[in-house]
Amino acid sequence: MAEGKQVIVKVKRQASPKDAARWEEFALPWRPSMNVIICLRDIAEHPVTREGKQTNPVSYDSNCLEEVCGSCAMVINGKARMACSALVDQLEQPIRIEPLSKFPVIRDLTVDRQFMFDSLKRVKAWIPIDGTYNLGEGPRVSPEVQEKAYPLSRCITCGNCLEVCPQVNENNNFMGAAIFSQVRLFNMHPTGAMHAKERIEAVMGDGGIEDCANAQNCVKACPKEIPLTESLAEINRQAWKQALFGWLVG
Amino acid sequence: MSATATRPETSYLLRKLHSLSGIVPVGAFLAEHFWSNSSVLVSGPKYDETSQGLQTIPFRLFVEWAFIFLPILFHGGYGIYIWLRGESNVTQYPWMKNWLYTFQRYTGLVAFVYIGWHVYTQRWLTHGMSTYSEVAQQMRNPWAFGFMVVGVVATSFHLGVGIWNFLCKWGLAATVRAQRAAGQLGAVVGIVFSFVGILIVVSFRYNWHPFASYLTQK
Ligand code: FES
Repeated sequence: MAEGKQVIVKVKRQASPKDAARWEEFALPWRPSMNVIICLRDIAEHPVTREGKQTNPVSYDSNCLEEVCGSCAMVINGKARMACSALVDQLEQPIRIEPLSKFPVIRDLTVDRQFMFDSLKRVKAWIPIDGTYNLGEGPRVSPEVQEKAYPLSRCITCGNCLEVCPQVNENNNFMGAAIFSQVRLFNMHPTGAMHAKERIEAVMGDGGIEDCANAQNCVKACPKEIPLTESLAEINRQAWKQALFGWLVG
Repeated sequence: MSATATRPETSYLLRKLHSLSGIVPVGAFLAEHFWSNSSVLVSGPKYDETSQGLQTIPFRLFVEWAFIFLPILFHGGYGIYIWLRGESNVTQYPWMKNWLYTFQRYTGLVAFVYIGWHVYTQRWLTHGMSTYSEVAQQMRNPWAFGFMVVGVVATSFHLGVGIWNFLCKWGLAATVRAQRAAGQLGAVVGIVFSFVGILIVVSFRYNWHPFASYLTQK
């Protein structure tokens, strides 16, 4: 291999959920517009550490490579972000790559984000339109609502907002900003609004909106620039109104 | 799926009550307390007059417990519980609002301890009949004076950040713009309260009454 510019990468590895974590360092040949996923692919092609020790390819999730699938969230140089949009030339070296810390590690950088999907189920983050007969066309959505809904619909469930949130930890079941933003999205939709009360009810349960403590890290970490703090405020308002007026006026 | 009556969980209601209690009655009492105590900026006798007026309100014990002591105990106690449920990560993510999140916990603790000491020395030991000379006496001790300044600033800061939190967390300031305005409001409250609070404490310690001329004006 020609002695060109090198990229030094340190990966936090863990063989299985039960094994202890350890670090491995790699020196990779630099290429133009390299990102962290390319680094991991290069390691897979030639799984030899910097000291020349043979190892196995690093396990990680990725798919779209354009920041839309949400599978490649990792902690890179101490910050939660998408690996596919983390450009090597913009990162300080050695580049430290760790799995998200708020989700159980399956292996290396692959984590189990089932908690988020379960939370989405808990808050019914969908619009029920299945039935035994044709329901016909749904109501029209005004351009004003569309404009608000679109940014929310870009959520990729990557988990970065949970990763950076001081309130998401093993002391409680806080569902995290992304989930409440989805509640807002579906409550905003004219058909979805038919189940708004049920969603808000779930939001007032364990791990619900109450645990948000306004650190506002989520909105800074969101790769899709979703106005998460606005969503949290909006859902907070819907919740206390329902809590207060629910029993007063029904 | 049953679209039935809403029954929020107790912890939701407690958390809401915690947030609300910081504004009313605790925050409102702080405003009243600073307002009344600023009588000292006019003169010692004026301060005694104002505090005697408050010390002799009807149903005093009930008012004190229901609107001051119990709300503060609840707000502080539940606040510690909230603190324990979070895990600050401000070293990893040193963002401004993340700092405020962390500060809010420490200022709350300092304020809580300070208020405990303050109530003990100025409400309990004085049998609820504290006077200008007693407070001035206490403020002559540099440690008590220092703790008073720290306590006043921590409490004011906590209220300022708390107002911002409250407006965000109740969705009263829902847009980014409104939240920025809420933050500015909180900052103004924190600064004004700290300033007035320090003036009051300094007034006691140095027998300094900047508005004394009001008494001689015709
Ligand atoms: S690979 Fe899809 S978001 Fe990075």
